Amino acid sequence: MRSSGFIRLSVAGLAVAASLGFAGSASWAQDKYKDAPSLADQVKAGKLPPVSQRLPENPLVVPVVDSVGQYGGVWRRAFLGPADSNNYVRVVYDALFRFSPDGAKIEPKIAESAEPSADYKVWTIKLRKGSKWSDGQSFGADDILFWYNDVLMNKELTPTLPGWIKSPDGTAAKVEKVDDNTVRFTYAAPATLFLTAVANQDGADRTYAMFLPAHYLKKFHPTYTPKADIEKMAQAAGFKSWTELFANKNAPPENPERPTMAAWAPTSRASDPVFTLKRNPYFIGVDKDGNQLPYIDEVRFTYFADVQALNLQAIAGNFDFQARHIIMTNYPVLKEQEKAGKYKVITWPTFGGSDAALAINQTYTADPEMGKVMANKDFRIALSLAINRDQIKESVFLGLGEPRQPVPAPWHPYYPGDEYAKKFTDYDKDKANKLLDGIGLTKKDGNGIRLLPNGKPATIEISVVPAFASWPDVALLVSKDWEAVGIKTIVQIRERALHFKMRDSNELMAEIWNEDTTAFPYTGNAKVDPRNSPIMTIGPAWLRWYATGGKEGAEPTPEMKRIVEIVDKARTVPPEEQVKLSQELYRIWADNMFEIGTVGLTPMVQGVVVMNNKFRNVPAKMGNDWPLRSPGNARTEQFYFAK
Amino acid sequence: MTRYILQRLALLPLLMLVYSFVIFAIIQAPPGDFLTAYVATLASSGSSLSAEQIAAMRAQYGLDQPFFIQYLLWLQHLIHGDFGLSLEYQRPNAELIGDVLGLTLALALFSFVLTWVLAIPAGIYSATHPRSIGDHVLTIVNYVGVATPNFMLALVLMWVAFAYFDISVTGLFSPDYVDKPWSFGRFIDLLQHIWLPALVLGIAGTARLSRIMRANLLDELNKPYVVTARAKGMKEWRLVLRYPVRLAFNPLVSTIGWYLPLLFSGSLIVATVMNLPNIGPLLLRALVNQDMYLAGGILLIYSFLTVVGTLLSDVALALIDPRIRVER
Repeated sequence: MRSSGFIRLSVAGLAVAASLGFAGSASWAQDKYKDAPSLADQVKAGKLPPVSQRLPENPLVVPVVDSVGQYGGVWRRAFLGPADSNNYVRVVYDALFRFSPDGAKIEPKIAESAEPSADYKVWTIKLRKGSKWSDGQSFGADDILFWYNDVLMNKELTPTLPGWIKSPDGTAAKVEKVDDNTVRFTYAAPATLFLTAVANQDGADRTYAMFLPAHYLKKFHPTYTPKADIEKMAQAAGFKSWTELFANKNAPPENPERPTMAAWAPTSRASDPVFTLKRNPYFIGVDKDGNQLPYIDEVRFTYFADVQALNLQAIAGNFDFQARHIIMTNYPVLKEQEKAGKYKVITWPTFGGSDAALAINQTYTADPEMGKVMANKDFRIALSLAINRDQIKESVFLGLGEPRQPVPAPWHPYYPGDEYAKKFTDYDKDKANKLLDGIGLTKKDGNGIRLLPNGKPATIEISVVPAFASWPDVALLVSKDWEAVGIKTIVQIRERALHFKMRDSNELMAEIWNEDTTAFPYTGNAKVDPRNSPIMTIGPAWLRWYATGGKEGAEPTPEMKRIVEIVDKARTVPPEEQVKLSQELYRIWADNMFEIGTVGLTPMVQGVVVMNNKFRNVPAKMGNDWPLRSPGNARTEQFYFAK
Repeated sequence: MTRYILQRLALLPLLMLVYSFVIFAIIQAPPGDFLTAYVATLASSGSSLSAEQIAAMRAQYGLDQPFFIQYLLWLQHLIHGDFGLSLEYQRPNAELIGDVLGLTLALALFSFVLTWVLAIPAGIYSATHPRSIGDHVLTIVNYVGVATPNFMLALVLMWVAFAYFDISVTGLFSPDYVDKPWSFGRFIDLLQHIWLPALVLGIAGTARLSRIMRANLLDELNKPYVVTARAKGMKEWRLVLRYPVRLAFNPLVSTIGWYLPLLFSGSLIVATVMNLPNIGPLLLRALVNQDMYLAGGILLIYSFLTVVGTLLSDVALALIDPRIRVER
């Protein structure tokens, strides 16, 4: 049951697209479409074509959560400046395909459908005929081809190809225009995760989306405009090269002129005190009654230099819908002020994994004796058993969430089963002591600390960055538990850049971070794959080993090699087999305690939602994760204010 | 005098060159660079870049160059009056600083004037009525003012305003006016918001200033010339204001120079806490995010203001006190 929902992950697009498609074209005559009063006025004044001409022939019909909404209102949010442009990305989720609210399916958004060949090597994306950019220019296959030929294949703009466009042999997929509204992707090997990747090609993290407004950006591209002219423009704007100018012109938060396909388009910049988005009169979506979306007129992001000042404003009820930057430890205060601030607080748990996971460096070389101990599986199991997770849950996570290992959430098809999620999570000091005795750490000093064979006390240092405020507290609780079984534990709070640098150079013994990539082990920068940049200090030397083809670094254990094998294979097998492999991956993951999970499924990461009492159509349960672009996957265009 | 000013001005470029190197070295001293900070920001909101992407961006921003090359490139731009491009904002630094300069100056001047208007009369009153009830009250207020860090005061006032008066005092404008062009309404809105931050910023200065004023004036009031003037029948308030107050000003005037940069940098934490759109939060963010050319640009301006401020106070001192002259 559980897995059947997710098998549809890669093929879901098709089924949904087909059903929406029929509804869209068959049941309404064109004059049945309605638009917002502000736009209707502009149509009357002759400044804008009528709504039926602005919509594609077959618009996206967005299901509403509670009811058909009312037009109007300003959605007040807060952001932390230009580096926080993903705040914008999450609100608009401007992509060809997007994740569903529960995160289990992928549905068409700007595109109409996607169809794989039987062997998953060829994917055909169909776009909506007659769809338009926010400036009224038509959108089509050429905009994807412009991205492919002139941006992705341009060495200056894209020095290294992203993983999703490459086949395992390293070659880039071929992209061809079939007709004005159809594009074909051809891979050398099966690409079953194609749609999962496409659902995230929305220009997040200052990257290029896979569809770009060619008619606008050609002005800044040397293939279409003399390079000298562009260099002149770049210099005038203070940029060193044309590529910087191009990147700047392409980023909607930096350049309001740049047309978008999203429900709202920027009218000011993210570097302004208020970053404003206004409704896109050409947005391709309607509700079931034919009302063009979005319902809400405007989104306003107010700039805050300090996250605490932002939280104070949230407590005062000055935001209409915001989870980003709301600090979980403020949950009790927020609850207390609900009535006065005229808002509601809801919580969305993280999408699996662990919200404070301990990574023990299994390739630590600075202290070879201790390194050997840390590479021992039984040692890590003992450390896991020694942790009193209930105490961490109550005192750090306000009693929210549950003790668990870093594996996917129970509702996720990759979930390996309760047995693995709860493995070694019971607080059992005796068993931990027995395991530690078993690996030869039997001698103790006067303080009850176990001695290494060379006579030095067994010491582990946990490096922790106060990124989510509560990790240093977790580290202190854990250190007490570990000292109780005879492992001397030092908690070192470090500035993040220093911590990252030490992590990269294999200097960290252990660290606390969150394991938030279990739902997407094959796309993005998953932490289970040791070949990704060391984003958890599990085995930095393994990365080196893979990067140098086995010449340098440390050879991974057979179990780790099996994980890497699974990651490579899962990308090319049909969905059913992918689920089986993924479950195996997480069984190995938990069995070997590569990471020690403490507490998970809390609303720690952008899961405490402050919502105006009049805000409507918000799903009560929602998948909350970065790849899902939460709250973007809640279909923000159908949010509305009750009058 | 003119010669002296010219000499001092001639030293300025050399000083700025030294400062620029020191500033750049200090900004570069912490481990990591803008991209490390950017990756950390991304990591704390769930996303992450791959190693190749990071390397490509590092090359694009020129962060892979050695320290001296980076410094020389920066210097080369500076000499041409170009503050460079902010890594975070992707906009020219001069433009970013220019955007906030107006409000920074307005706030700084407002709190500067507030400081002097409150401190000088309070100091004179305390000195002329020593150990009276009024003097004791002012003394207590002053000690509290000096002893309380102003960001703490800002937090307390913000909480009081929110909890008891139900007004939010962050920012310099109400939401209706934040992104509107200048108008009379916006100006009034600014005046309604600016007094509290100005008071917070000025309070420590006010306290310090009035203590100094009190001490200086007390010294002067006991001098023989005051007694003589009083004996000759000069009116008390006229006497006090005309001679001892004027002399008591000297040490204060010599500190005006420090005020110039202090009013900018002193507002750093307060402005961040109160979410004021001035240069403070811009600098703090630039430092935290290691947006080094922006931070460097702002710090250079601070250094410049310090040098110019010291010169100005020396000149002002010479103007109000005829006894002070350049020695040859």
